[in-house]
Amino acid sequence: MSNYDVINSNAPRVDTPAKAKGKAIFIDDMSMPDMLFGALLQSPIAHGKILNIDISAAKKLKGVKAVVTAKEAGLIPYGVSPARYDENVFCHDNVRYIGDEIAAVAAVDLETAIAAASLIKVDYQELPALLTIDDAMAEGAPVLHKKYPRNICAQVNQEFGNFEAGLKESDIIKTTTFKSKRQDAAFLEPQGCIANFDKLTENLTLYSSTQVPHYVQRILSMVLKLPIGKVRVIKPYLGAGFGIKAGTNTMEIVSCLLSMKTGKPVKMNYSREQVFMFGRARHQFVHTMTTGVKKDGTLMALKNECYLDGGAYTSFGIATVYYSGSLLGGPYKLPNMKYDGYRIYTNKPACGAQRGHGGVIARACWEQQLDMIAEELGMDPIELRLKNMMVTGDITCNDFNMSSLGMKECIEAVKDGSEWNKKKGKLPKGKGIGMACGFFVSGAGYPIYRSDTYHSTAVIKLTEDGGTALLYTASSEIGQGSDTTMAMIAAETLGIPLSDIRIESGDTDFGVDLGAYSSRQTLMTGHAVYDAAAHVKQQILEVLAEELNISADEIDIKKGIIIFKKSQPDFSKLRERYIKEHRGWTDNPSADDPLTFKEASRIAFLAKGIISANGKYKPHQLGGKFKGAAVGTSPAYGCSAQIVELTVDEQTGQITIDNMIDAHDCGFAINRVSVEGQMEGSLSMGLGEAMFEEVKFDSKGKIINADLAEYKIPTALDMPPVKAIIVESSEPNGPFGAKEVGEGAIMPTIPAILNAVYDAAGVRIFELPLTPERVYQAILDYKNKKAS
Amino acid sequence: MLLPKFNFYEPKTQGEALSIMNEYGLKAKLIAGGTDLLANMKRKLLSPDALVGISEIEEFKNLEISDKTIKIGSCFTVSAIAESAVIEKKISALAVGARALGTPLIRNLATIGGNLGSARPAADIPPSLIAYNAKAVLKSVSGERTVLLDKFFKGPGFTEIQPNEILTEIIIDIPDGYYGAGYINLGIRKAQDCNIVNVASFVSLDEPNGVINSARIVMGCVGPTHLRANAAENILIGNKPSEKLFQEAAKIAESECKPIDDFRASAVYKKAMIRVLTKRTLDIAVKEASLK
Ligand SMILES: Cc1cc2nc3c(=O)[nH]c(=O)nc-3n(C[C@H](O)[C@H](O)[C@H](O)COP(=O)(O)OP(=O)(O)OC[C@H]3O[C@@H](n4cnc5c(N)ncnc54)[C@H](O)[C@@H]3O)c2cc1C
Repeated sequence: MSNYDVINSNAPRVDTPAKAKGKAIFIDDMSMPDMLFGALLQSPIAHGKILNIDISAAKKLKGVKAVVTAKEAGLIPYGVSPARYDENVFCHDNVRYIGDEIAAVAAVDLETAIAAASLIKVDYQELPALLTIDDAMAEGAPVLHKKYPRNICAQVNQEFGNFEAGLKESDIIKTTTFKSKRQDAAFLEPQGCIANFDKLTENLTLYSSTQVPHYVQRILSMVLKLPIGKVRVIKPYLGAGFGIKAGTNTMEIVSCLLSMKTGKPVKMNYSREQVFMFGRARHQFVHTMTTGVKKDGTLMALKNECYLDGGAYTSFGIATVYYSGSLLGGPYKLPNMKYDGYRIYTNKPACGAQRGHGGVIARACWEQQLDMIAEELGMDPIELRLKNMMVTGDITCNDFNMSSLGMKECIEAVKDGSEWNKKKGKLPKGKGIGMACGFFVSGAGYPIYRSDTYHSTAVIKLTEDGGTALLYTASSEIGQGSDTTMAMIAAETLGIPLSDIRIESGDTDFGVDLGAYSSRQTLMTGHAVYDAAAHVKQQILEVLAEELNISADEIDIKKGIIIFKKSQPDFSKLRERYIKEHRGWTDNPSADDPLTFKEASRIAFLAKGIISANGKYKPHQLGGKFKGAAVGTSPAYGCSAQIVELTVDEQTGQITIDNMIDAHDCGFAINRVSVEGQMEGSLSMGLGEAMFEEVKFDSKGKIINADLAEYKIPTALDMPPVKAIIVESSEPNGPFGAKEVGEGAIMPTIPAILNAVYDAAGVRIFELPLTPERVYQAILDYKNKKAS
Repeated sequence: MLLPKFNFYEPKTQGEALSIMNEYGLKAKLIAGGTDLLANMKRKLLSPDALVGISEIEEFKNLEISDKTIKIGSCFTVSAIAESAVIEKKISALAVGARALGTPLIRNLATIGGNLGSARPAADIPPSLIAYNAKAVLKSVSGERTVLLDKFFKGPGFTEIQPNEILTEIIIDIPDGYYGAGYINLGIRKAQDCNIVNVASFVSLDEPNGVINSARIVMGCVGPTHLRANAAENILIGNKPSEKLFQEAAKIAESECKPIDDFRASAVYKKAMIRVLTKRTLDIAVKEASLK
């Protein structure tokens, strides 16, 4: 085992007791004196021109305190990336999807607010609803946003190396097209918030179930025209987010607006149906890929063309369309890569970022294609991958630096762990085994808005008795375990037990942290916390050195005890002082006890006042210089390999996943159970997308399965036993060598399942999800083809 | 989604419940577990003036077993059915259906009466009950009547139950001799799923390894109510079970069902699956019958 006292262990999470006892406070549990409830009026049609809005009846309803429309909210555009601020708080000219927000009401209770919203009368002139990419790109189709002809929201054309030249050198060329379906992340907690504006001080506080308090703070400040110092965003406990809560939602702005109008706290919540209507989860992707390889299996060239059904607004989409190209740069050595990506506006809820942002379907398409190529080459799929695998220090054709990469170790771990060699191609009919690999960023290298800002800051402050270290970070615990990770890093760095750290997080008053997205917090916030803790520790060591008249280099702190590396000096005077201050206390040290951190930090307080330090982190200059180089650039990359075993019922098309094994290189596991938890969660989410999940619309653009009965995520019975293997490659750019696990682990899941289905049933399927009917049909087509 | 406003009654006895229903008629709805009703009310598909809670009435929660019959009170829960040793032994296909329904949380609330009362063509409880030839007892202030479950369903959401009536119990006459039944439901995932198709098949044999003397095949999700595969049943009777016979019956059943395309699956797929499930449930039924 490691030399560490706190990190690299299986630590119980710091938030477990509160959650297990039901004491953790979520937005839905919160209320405030005099609180009002807000409700939205959302468009019932997918596309239309607003002719008139009449709010008079709503205003007259008893109990209604405010009604707001675009008139009150103004027209300052906002969104996620300043490159595409294409949203207004309320629609003023057109509505662009069923659910587009038109007005809102604050009232004394939710029933009244909903009733009032329904009294707002809107006259529309309906426009054709563009529900597919083909509709939206058709000649003469109406344009959703004037600035973007043909409804092309964003277009990326990149070439690294020379694709055509690479193809010329190839012996085998394979082209496939792959289609996925729009997702919903199905987090347990629907978005909600409470805004509280104090008319006297003009301070605004928003409590919100967000992954990104900092970005929300900036958007509120910009849209509501408040100085950023007057805006505070606090994130209570969160029931997950998976990327959907990484942008600002309409309620977050509207509740503030209503609170500013009324001077009272205003609470708003999405119903589950509204969660679906708001969308912002994974896009639908259609990829067409052409890969060229040499006879010996050397990858020569890849052309990737992708269309994303974006929905009515951009949200994270501009990053998504870059990621769906750039994330194929690794983990294989690929000299020539061409990418053409198009994100198209349609009259549906906007899509955005979801776990594995932009890369999941590209990965699924390509890893299935690689298996097809391996078969044609007569090569074991693992052998093909190993042959092309990058190693630590390699740089991709699009300038990603693999500063650590335990890809090979991951592959070997799953290969051995699954007894691949005994099983591949040797399982009985109907049973199959498949594998795939993937990698992901460890934090976006650049903030969403152009800035030299620190990506993370942290403050550590010791209590005056020296017994407890208070850690303040604006990072977001959203269920993934980041509070525990940060507390562990602080404890390890300071040299004290985890129980002596008290962490407060998720509040913009604690500093700047870009938040929980792009798998960034362990690396980035972790660095800031390490930095703060190291500075606090140094201050204590320096005071001690001076008091004891030795060099600070000779002193260390471990498990809450002061360690003298050379000879032990006489610290009895210090102890005497400490004890004198604590007369009558029953826990004073006795003469031959070692000197404790507690005593030392009390002495330090007496010398210097409150001992505290700031920590900060931003990545060094990263990546290439080409347009879009920022997307996918990261200080580090996590990677994983997976093997799936499954059974296909050939008569019904039903698939049963029997076993999954995942090896993930997270650089270094701060908390091993949290790493395993992220791996298992990723697999479950990938399994759902592969097998069941699809947001479905009717012909008018209304979602027909906006609930968790008909939108099918995996149940406990659908999840197989999972073996999660942690690989540690020690990342030079990560704190203690740590990098991501939150998203990279989902990358191989879908293609590993696809490849196993082929092994089991002999069919390649190029469209998700793998419903029984789709699999049945594929088997039928295959049999018919074989017969003819 | 908020519930609409309603008055709530919680009668303590059957008599009280019957007189409330007599007074309110169409304006009231009975509520047992509420797992179907409350979801519909939240969606504003229904907004009755009153709800009459019957799940605390002891008479409705009984399970009565004799040599000849099993009587299940309408408020007997689905989880209790799933766990009952007697049901497992005597009418196993019902237990299989109960275990397939929803989730543990839903099963703890959901009742057999509510499952029949909601009359969903995809429900998990009716096919097995119809296959066992079960009857429903309907009571009102003016008396009681017994309806064969096969004739009980009138369309999605509609049954024989009149506005002033309460379904009080389900009666299953335990078949004589060598009988067995199988139930299979097919969906997208392994639990908490609305079925794509479901089938229950019952057979009885004149002796172990003998000829089939009665058969019932009940198909769900392929019509406005559960359908019987009459022609398929007919070719079974008088014959010895065999692979070929069951394949033939399954093929006929496929031609007897009338599914529609919907967002869950195409009619073509549902038809094909009726064939697969018919064959498989017949296999289970005969296996169980031979072991009796
Ligand atoms: C998440 C979820 C999953 C589900 N999964 C399944 C599933 O897999 N399979 C399945 O079959 N169903 C499923 N259901 C539907 C539902 O749970 C079942 O139909 C259940 O058996 C209904 O019983 P209940 O007691 O809750 O009925 P209630 O909701 O209380 O009543 C349903 C209807 O029956 C009427 N009713 C109830 N009792 C009587 C009576 N004694 N006499 C006359 N009328 C009566 C009510 O007035 C109402 O119209 C699911 C529901 C949910 C919410």
